[in-house]
Amino acid sequence: MSETPQEKLPDPQWDPVYLHARKEAMLILGVWFLALLWTLPVSYYNGFDSQIEIEQVTFIWGMPSWVFWGIGLPWMIANLITVWFCFCYFSADDLEPPESTMTPTEQESAGDA
Amino acid sequence: MIPFFPLAVAQSSTALIVFLIYTLAVFGLAAFSNYLMKSKSFLSEYFLGSRSLGVWAFALTFAATSASGGSFTGFPARIYSHGWILALWIASYMVVPICTMGFLGKRINQVARLSDAITVPDVIRDRFRSPGLGLLSVSLIVFFMSFNLVAQFKAGSKILITLLGDNDTFQQGVAWTQSITSGWGFLEGVAPDYFLCLSLFAVAVIAYTTYGGFHAVVWTDVMQGIVMVIGVVIMLPLALYQVGGTGQLASEFREMTPPKVGFVKVSSAVPLAQPQTLNARWVVLDSDGEDGMRLLRLNTPVVLPAQEEGETPATTQDIRYVELTTPIEIERQFQRLKEDRELVVFRNEIKSILEASLETSDSSDLRKASQDIEQIDTAILNNAPGMNLEFEILVEREDAYGADKPGVYAMGPGPSGPNLANTPEDELKKDEASLMTSLGFLPFSVAVSFFFMWAISGSGQPSNMVRLMAFNNAVTLKKSIFTVAMYYTLIYFPLVLIFCSARILLPGLELDPDSIMPRIAVELTANAGQAWLAGLLVAAPFAAIMSTVDSFLLMISSAVVRDIYQRNINPDASENRIKYMSYLTTLIIGVVAMAGAINPPRFLQDIIVYTGSGLSACFLGPIVFALYWPRMNRQGMYGGMLAGFAAHFSMYAAGMSINDSFFTPWRPMGIDPIVIGLLVSFVSTFAVASLTPPPEESLVDRYFRRGKALEESETH
Repeated sequence: MSETPQEKLPDPQWDPVYLHARKEAMLILGVWFLALLWTLPVSYYNGFDSQIEIEQVTFIWGMPSWVFWGIGLPWMIANLITVWFCFCYFSADDLEPPESTMTPTEQESAGDA
Repeated sequence: MIPFFPLAVAQSSTALIVFLIYTLAVFGLAAFSNYLMKSKSFLSEYFLGSRSLGVWAFALTFAATSASGGSFTGFPARIYSHGWILALWIASYMVVPICTMGFLGKRINQVARLSDAITVPDVIRDRFRSPGLGLLSVSLIVFFMSFNLVAQFKAGSKILITLLGDNDTFQQGVAWTQSITSGWGFLEGVAPDYFLCLSLFAVAVIAYTTYGGFHAVVWTDVMQGIVMVIGVVIMLPLALYQVGGTGQLASEFREMTPPKVGFVKVSSAVPLAQPQTLNARWVVLDSDGEDGMRLLRLNTPVVLPAQEEGETPATTQDIRYVELTTPIEIERQFQRLKEDRELVVFRNEIKSILEASLETSDSSDLRKASQDIEQIDTAILNNAPGMNLEFEILVEREDAYGADKPGVYAMGPGPSGPNLANTPEDELKKDEASLMTSLGFLPFSVAVSFFFMWAISGSGQPSNMVRLMAFNNAVTLKKSIFTVAMYYTLIYFPLVLIFCSARILLPGLELDPDSIMPRIAVELTANAGQAWLAGLLVAAPFAAIMSTVDSFLLMISSAVVRDIYQRNINPDASENRIKYMSYLTTLIIGVVAMAGAINPPRFLQDIIVYTGSGLSACFLGPIVFALYWPRMNRQGMYGGMLAGFAAHFSMYAAGMSINDSFFTPWRPMGIDPIVIGLLVSFVSTFAVASLTPPPEESLVDRYFRRGKALEESETH
C-alpha cells in the first residue's frame, strides 16, 4: 500500500480485512447449514426405504427423483450462491501487511520462550 | 464388445507409454521449478512458491490435492458397490469449495503474510509468539501425515498394478524383480508386482518433489487436475449412451438386487491337457430345480494344472465368486457371453489356419501368433471347448442389508455390500461393525456426519491451509473459489452417474471393486472404437494419487526443516545449508514412507479417514478462533489442539475394545469421531481461552488492528 494506514483509519480501528473475512466466514457457515437443512431432510423423506417404497420413487434424467431434488438442485443453487459470493459479496482486500514488520525471531523475543 | 479379455490397455502398451510420458513431464516440470528457485529465497520458494500462485495454479492445485486417489479409486468402487446413495455421501461437495477456501482463506493468507510464515506451524507459533505451540503442531502434523503417506504410497502402487496389468514389459520386470529380491528376508511374502510398482511410484514422486519443491508440485497438480476433468467429461456421455440412455438406467435400477458372494470348489472330471486359469471367468450352473440359471463370476486367481493320462484330475477350492441375482442382469450377461462364445469359434478357426501354416513354414511370427491366440481366455469356463469341470458351492453369503430388495441401489441407506471373509472357515464376527452393516451403507446419522466430514473437516486440513497461504491476492482467491466449484461439479456428480452405469455395463465385480475405474475406461473406449483413449482415462486416478502424495511429502519435510531445524535448532543456518537439508529431508521421508508401504496396513481407506479427521479435530477449532477471535490466547490453542486429539483418538481406542479393531471406531448413535472431535475441540478452545488471561495487547494490535499493526511493529 502506498499510504500509511494511520492516515485513513483512526486508532484503534479493527483491521478491515479481518472484519470483511469474519463477515464472509459467517455467511459461508450459513450457506453450509442451509445446504444441510435442504439436502438431508429432502433425501431422507423421499429416498430412504424406511420412508418410501421403490414403486413410489420416480426417476428424472436417469437419476432417482430424491437425488435430483435433494442433491442435484441444491448443488446448482449452491453454485449460483458461490458465483454471487465470489463476484458480488466478497471484498477483494489488500492482503499485504504494513511495510515495516518484525521478523518472527524479534516477535519471539518479545513473547514467551 | 470385448468385455472379458484382460485389460486391453495393458495389452496394447498404452498404459506404459502414458506412464512414461507422465513421468517425463513431471521431471521436466521439476527441473524448470528448480531453475526458477535460483533467483529467489529458497525456503519461501521451495515450500510455498513465494506466495505467487495465480488463479489456475491455485485453483487446480487445491482441487487436485483435495481430490486425492480416493476420488478415482475408492469413490467409484463405493458407487459401484452401493449405488445412488453415494450421491448423498458426497453431497456436501456442493459447498466444499466455498467452505474450504472461503472460510479461512483470506484471513490465514493475511496472517501468514503479517508474520512471514511459510508453514502452518509457523502461523500458529508466530500468531501467539509461542515456540511450544509450534512444536506441538509440528508433532501432530508429522504423526498424522506419516500414516497417511504410507497409505497413499500403497494406493499409488495398487493403481499402477492395475494400470500396467498384463503388459509384457511389465511382466518381464516383475520376473526380474522376483529373481533379485527372492533372497531378501524383509521382502518375504511381498508380491513382486507390488514391490516393483511401489518402487516405480516412489522413485518418480520422491525425485520430482525433492528436486522441484512446491512449484513442481503445483504444476504437476495443474496437469493432473486437467487430466482428471477431461477423463470424466469423456466418460459420462459414453457411459450413458452405452447403457442405453437414462431411461434404461432408471428401469434397471428399479429391479436391481445385490449379488450373492461365496466360495466354490472346482474339479476337473477328466485330466486337463493344458493348465487353466480360473480368474475372472464366468460359470453357468443349473438352478436346482427352479426356472432359469445361475451365473457366477470367479474372482480368485488360481491355475488348475495339466495332468498326464491316468493322473488324478485337479481340484481346487476357496475360489471366491460373485453370483448375479437380478433376472434382467443374468439374461443380458448371458447374451453377452454367448456372443463371446461365437468369438471363441472364430479364434479356433484362425488357430487351425495358423497351425496349418506352421507345418509348411517356421516363421517365428506365426508361432508367436498361435501362442497368443492360445492364451486368450474363453468367456464361459464350463462351456468352453475341451472343458469338463464340476462346481460345488461351499459358502454362500448375502448382503447384511439389501439382499432380495429390488431397487435397493436406488434408495437409502443403500446395500451394505458383500462381506466375505478370506477363507470359508472364517465366520463373520457379531460385533458392532457387522451390526452397522446390517443398517445399510449410509444410515441417516452417518449421512449427517459426512456433511460435516467433507465441508467442515476439509477446512481443517493443514495441506489445504498451506495452499491458502500461497495465493498472490484476494482476487485470485475469489476467482479460484468459483473455478473449484465448477471443477467439483464437473467431477463428482458425473462420477456417480458413470459408475452407476458401470453396474450395468460390467456386472460381477463386487469382490474387486477397486479395479472398476480402469476397467470401465477400457470398456467404454473399446466399445466406442477409441481404445487409445483408455490410456488417458486410466491416467486420471494415477494423477490424483500423485498430486496428493507430493503435497503431503512436502508438508512433512517443511515441518522438519523449517519448524524444527531452522526455528529451534539452528536459526542462523545459511541458505545453502537449509537447501540441502530440505532436499535430504524430503528424500529421507519419501524413502521411509516407501519402506513402510512395503508391508502396509491392510485397511487403506480407514487410515486415510483416521488421519484426515484427526488433523481436522486438532487444528480447525483452534485455527478458527486464532484467526477470528481477538480474545484467543495460547492456552486456548493448547487446550483445543490437545482436547481435539484426545477426543478423536479415544473414540478410535474405544473401537479397539468394542470392535477389536482400532480402525473401526466407536460411533455412539452412529455419530462419527470427526463430529465429536470437532465439537470437543471448539468447546475446549473457547472454554480454556475464556478462563485464562487475555493475550498481550500487542498481539491483538498486530493481527486485528490495521492502524496499530504498523505502529506496534515500528516501536520494536
